Amino acid sequence: MVIAEKIKGFIAGNYRGFITFLSLFILWSGVTHYQLLSPESLPAPQVVTATFKEVFSSGLLGKSLGMSLSRIARGFLIGCSLGFLVGAAMGVSRSAERLLAPLINAVRQVPIIGWIPLIIVWCGIADMSKITFIAIGAFFPMVVNTFDGIRSVPHGYLEVARVFEYGRLRLLRSIVVPGALPAIVSGIRLSLGASWMLVVWSEINTRSDFGIGDMLWSARESSKMDLVIVCIVVIGAVAFSINELLGQIESRLQGWKRSCR
Amino acid sequence: MNKVGTLEVNNLNKRFGSLGQDVKVLDDVNLTVKPGEFISIVGQSGCGKTTFLRLVVGLESDYEGDILLDGKKLNGPDLKRGVVFQDHRLLPWLTIEKNVGMGLKNSSDREARKSVLEHIELVGLKGYEKHYPHQLSGGMSQRAAIARALVNRPKILMLDEPLGALDALTRMYMHQELERIWKKEGITMIMVTHDVDEAIFLSDRVVIMSSRPGTIRKIIPVPLARPRDRAGTDFLRIKEEVLKEFHLHTETPFSYAI
Amino acid sequence: MKLEQLKNLTFALIIPLVLLIAWDVATRLELVSAQLLPPPRMLFESWLEMQRNGELRDNMEVSLLRVVLGFLLGAGVGFLLGAAMGVWREVELYLSPLFNCVRQVPIVGWLPFLILWLGIDELFKVVFIAVGTLIPVSVKTLEGIKGVPASYLEVARVFRFGWARTLRTVIIPCALPSIVTGLRLGLSEAWMLVVGAELVAASAGIGNVMTIARRLFQTDVVLVGVIVIAVTGYLMDRLLGLLELRLLGWRRANGAH
Repeated sequence: MVIAEKIKGFIAGNYRGFITFLSLFILWSGVTHYQLLSPESLPAPQVVTATFKEVFSSGLLGKSLGMSLSRIARGFLIGCSLGFLVGAAMGVSRSAERLLAPLINAVRQVPIIGWIPLIIVWCGIADMSKITFIAIGAFFPMVVNTFDGIRSVPHGYLEVARVFEYGRLRLLRSIVVPGALPAIVSGIRLSLGASWMLVVWSEINTRSDFGIGDMLWSARESSKMDLVIVCIVVIGAVAFSINELLGQIESRLQGWKRSCR
Repeated sequence: MNKVGTLEVNNLNKRFGSLGQDVKVLDDVNLTVKPGEFISIVGQSGCGKTTFLRLVVGLESDYEGDILLDGKKLNGPDLKRGVVFQDHRLLPWLTIEKNVGMGLKNSSDREARKSVLEHIELVGLKGYEKHYPHQLSGGMSQRAAIARALVNRPKILMLDEPLGALDALTRMYMHQELERIWKKEGITMIMVTHDVDEAIFLSDRVVIMSSRPGTIRKIIPVPLARPRDRAGTDFLRIKEEVLKEFHLHTETPFSYAI
Repeated sequence: MKLEQLKNLTFALIIPLVLLIAWDVATRLELVSAQLLPPPRMLFESWLEMQRNGELRDNMEVSLLRVVLGFLLGAGVGFLLGAAMGVWREVELYLSPLFNCVRQVPIVGWLPFLILWLGIDELFKVVFIAVGTLIPVSVKTLEGIKGVPASYLEVARVFRFGWARTLRTVIIPCALPSIVTGLRLGLSEAWMLVVGAELVAASAGIGNVMTIARRLFQTDVVLVGVIVIAVTGYLMDRLLGLLELRLLGWRRANGAH
C-alpha cells in the first residue's frame, strides 16, 4: 500500500534524528536517575511531566498562556496593521517613501529590547507597556516586508497594466496586491513570531498580571526548574506552531510564484 | 602532435530507475572514435546524448557495457578526458586566468602559468586574464571554458552543446574558432548538439541518435574539405541526409541555408 | 545627480525636523511633564555629562566586550556546526531535527538555566550571547554550503579536485555570501541580547545604566541610552557590511544571487 511505503520512507529518512532524541532522553534520564547533578539543577523527566499535568489541569497554564496570547493579540494587531499601512503607503508612493523611509530606517536600528526601559517609564508596568512593546516589535518587520513586497512586483507586470490602461484601483487589486502577497504573509509570520518572543521578554521585565513569561521567571526565582522546563517547552511549542501555520500559508501562496520561473 | 586517444564504446546500456520504474536511456550504443577525429552527436532533446557524454566523462557511472580509452576501462573522471559544459561553469569568484588554471595541479609555478597564458591566447582572449567571468560576454566565457578544458592536454575533449547558450551570430563565429582550435591542438573532439548545421560544419562524422531509448541510428561521414561552405551543394546534400533521419527533410533538393 | 540627492535629503529631513520642533515646543510649553519627555537640550546635556564623567565609556566598554566575546564564540561554534552539517550529510541527518527543535525556543527561554548553571556574572552573559549568535550563523552557513550548485561541484570532480581543494576553491567562496549574512544577523542578535541580558541581570553595562535610570525616572538618561544603543548597533552593522564588500567584491557586479 502506498501509505505503508510512505511510512517506511519517513522512518528510513528520519531514523537518525530519532536516535539523537532518544540518546538525549536516555542521557537526561540517566543523569537524573544517578543524581550526577543535583535535582535542583536538572529535574528528572518524570517530575517535569508530573508538573506539566499539574499546571495544565489546575488551569494555571491556561490562564498564563491566555494572558500572554491576549496581549499579543492586541499588540500584534496594532503593530501589524500600522506596519502594513505605512509599508503600503511607502511602497505605492515615492514621496511617502522619501519622507518616511529615512526616519523608519533610523528608528529601526534600535534593538527592540532597548525600548523596554523607555516604555516602562512612559507606560508603567501594566498591560499597556507590554502591548506597546509588542506593537513596536510587530511594526518593523511588517513595514519592511510590505514595502519590499510591493516594490518587488516586477516592472514588466506594471507595464502590461499600463498597456491595457488599468486604473489605479484595478492595478492595485489585480497586480500589486497578489504580487506582494507572499512577502506580506512573510512579514506577518515574522511579526507574529517576534510578538511571541517579545511578550515573554516584556513579561520578564515587568512582572505583573501573570503571563507565561512571568510564570517562567517566578519559577526560576523559586528554583522550580521543573516548572521552568514546562514553560520553556510551552513557549517553544507556540513559537513552532506560529511558524508552521504561517509557513504553510506562505508556501501555498508561493506556489504560483515558483511556477512562473 | 600525434596523440593516442581512441575511444571505444561497446554495447553500452544505461538505465535510470526510481520506485521500481526503469527507464532505459541508452540501448546498445556502439561507437569507436579515432584519435584526432571531430565527431558530432546529433539528436533531439531527451534522446540520451547528454547522458552518453556524461558517462564518457565519468560523471555518471553504473552502466552495462564497456567504455574504453586506449583499451583501458574508465574509473570516474580524469584529466585525460576534458569537458566543456553548456553553461560555461566558470567560477565567478576567480579571474579568467585562475579559472583556466583550474585543471593544473600546481597553477603557480612558471611552467603552469606559461601554459595558462598560451591557452588564453589560443582561444582569443589575450588581455582578459585578470577579468572576472561576469565581465565577459557569453561567447567569451565559453571560450575561457574551452581553454580551461584544454590546458592539461586531455586526450579527448567532450563538448556538451557548448554553443547552445549563445545567440546565432556569435555561434557562427564560434564555429570558426572551434575549428581553428581543433586544428591547432590536434585533439579528439566529441560534440553533442542539436544544431545540424553546426554538426556538419565541424565534424568528420555525424552520429545520429534516436530517442527513447537512446541508440545510434546512423553514422554519416562528412568527407568535405575544410573550411566548409554552408551553402555548398555537398553540404546541403549531407544536411538533407541527416534531416531525413528526423523526418524533417524537404521535397525540393535545394533550400536556402544560412 | 546632485540636485536629486539634495531633494532626497530635504525630504528625509522634513519629518525628523518637524518632530524635533514639536518636541521642543511641547516641552517648553510644558504640555508634557519633564519626567515623561525631557526637553532636547536636557538630553544633550545628559549625554555630555555622561561622556565627561566616563560613565558612558566605561559601561559601553563592558557591553561591547561582552558582545565581542559572545559573538566570536557563537559565530565560531555556529560556523563549525553549520559547516559540519553542510559537508557531511550524515551529521546533518543526525543533528538537524534536534537543532530545529532547539531553535524554536526563543532565546529568552535559555535564561533560567544559564543563570542557574553559570550565575549572573560575565560567563553567563557571554554564553547567552553566544547561543543567540550561534543559531543564525549555523543556519546560514548550512544554507550556503548546501546551496552550492551541483554544476560547480561537477567541475571540481571533472578536474579531480581532492576534498580539501574543493572546499577551498569551490564550496567556501560560493557559500561565503550566505555565511556573511549569517554573521550580520548574528551580530545584530548579539547586540540585542547583551542589552536584554543586562536589563535582567547585571551590575554594569549600558543596559544596566538604563535600568537604573528608569527606576529613578531619569528619562533623559534612558533616551540617551536608546540612542547610543541604536547608533552602536548601526555602526557595527556597517563595519560588517564593509567587510562583506571587501570579501565579496566579485558578487556585486554580478548582481544579487
